[in-house]
Amino acid sequence: MLNTIQTTFSNIKSNKQTFLVSIATITVAFSILGLFLVIFVNLNTFLMTWSKQVQLIVYLEDKITGDQKQGLEKLISINSDVESMTFVSKEAAWQGFKNTFSGNSEVIEDLEFNPLPSSYSLKFKPADDRFLRIRQFADLLSKRPGVESLEYGERWLGAFEKFMVFIRIFLLAVGSLLAIGLTLIISNTIKLSYYSRQDEIELMLLIGATPRYVKIPFLIEGLLQGLTGGIAALALIKAIQLYIRYQFQGSLESIARGIEFQYIPQSMILTVLATSVFIGWLGSFISIRQFLHVERK
Amino acid sequence: MIQLFNVSKTYGGVTPALIDITFSIKKGEFIFLTGPSGAGKTTLLKILFGAEVFDRGQVLVHGMNIGKIPERRLYSLRRKIGVVFQDYKLLARKSVFENVAFAQEVIGADRKRIRYKTWEALKNVGLTHKKDFFPPQLSGGEQQRVAIARALVNSPRVILADEPTGNLDPEISLEILKLFERTKQKGVTIIFATHNQEMIRSRNHRVVVLNRGMLVSQ
Repeated sequence: MLNTIQTTFSNIKSNKQTFLVSIATITVAFSILGLFLVIFVNLNTFLMTWSKQVQLIVYLEDKITGDQKQGLEKLISINSDVESMTFVSKEAAWQGFKNTFSGNSEVIEDLEFNPLPSSYSLKFKPADDRFLRIRQFADLLSKRPGVESLEYGERWLGAFEKFMVFIRIFLLAVGSLLAIGLTLIISNTIKLSYYSRQDEIELMLLIGATPRYVKIPFLIEGLLQGLTGGIAALALIKAIQLYIRYQFQGSLESIARGIEFQYIPQSMILTVLATSVFIGWLGSFISIRQFLHVERK
Repeated sequence: MIQLFNVSKTYGGVTPALIDITFSIKKGEFIFLTGPSGAGKTTLLKILFGAEVFDRGQVLVHGMNIGKIPERRLYSLRRKIGVVFQDYKLLARKSVFENVAFAQEVIGADRKRIRYKTWEALKNVGLTHKKDFFPPQLSGGEQQRVAIARALVNSPRVILADEPTGNLDPEISLEILKLFERTKQKGVTIIFATHNQEMIRSRNHRVVVLNRGMLVSQ
């Protein structure tokens, strides 16, 4: 084991330039992937925070009976997606309206009746398919007796949903293409590393080295390249994130209303590192397997 | 020790390199393998250490049937054989000591043993004083001696030398030949491929002659 590690480091030492070029390639490629992730994470947070403000308002008919109201409340309370329910009476709604439009008090005072209905204001728990659930529940409620109308910004909710689905598919496609590209790049850089040491490897096999002895240092080198490239990419993305955060904080705040420009979440950092290590290993595995197969003519 | 039975080999299925070769070599024997260029000397040597496959026949080295050894197990054959290449195959980035030690490292020997065996091999070829030199700083004869030290360091039972004096002047060639003869005294089987007829005539070793892939005499 010690011998293998020594061989790996001696290989790296004697091919410093190729090794560093490989790491730089991996860093650039993973930075692209990481930046997409950062954009996704921030867009997602922004959309999630924004969507939290989405409420379902159930307007009630004036002639709603006590039983109908009770039935409606029961239906709302058994829905596990509903986070909170607030009842706004006709009077409270009217009072709120008067307070908001106090400048037009003359018109409001002239009205001899309260035109506003009583309502339930519902907030929903966060979920991936939150919008779909709100829509389904709204459909259900609209058919209940005593319900006058519902309001939940259905138009922009639909657009939102489609946009989120598009973003996810786009990221998945870009991520997959980049992963394939990276595997090929690493496989190629390991090939370069092999070619720069071809005489040494051929000699090793001719003087009695086991194929495993030849393979393992390359695989470790691939792993190290992936790991170092992954760490360097994460550090680069962090630097970019910090730069954007401090340089454009004012502008971001006005757009994102208090939402901070975030880094990749911890679980995703581990995924990025594991992926970089795996791709490093896979790239070197593909190349070295090819070479060892053509060794005996 | 080494036995070949009706061995044939063609390149690309058309160009014959070896045709129906049968002969055997005893343990501790020194033989000259000779013949003009293209006679099949290098192909024969390559077959003996598993660097070439052959089409027909059987080859036994130390009881190992070479045709039956899977690729992943070839190392077990190669550890019994020391090969001296015509172009030396020394690693320019490694010192003389490191080049010789390399053969020990790749078979997983421990550091203490590597140091001892490398020193001993360098002593055998008279190059201890040049252990820190790099191959490009050495003469052709010295480079060949490093290659011989590397072939000897793992105490092989067989040494295959492919034109080891091909690029050297007569004086140095004689020195190299004597080195192989000293190695033979230790019970090592030597196959020395050369087309230098003067060298062959000057010694009383068995001569195997190939011509156009066929065994002419032995």
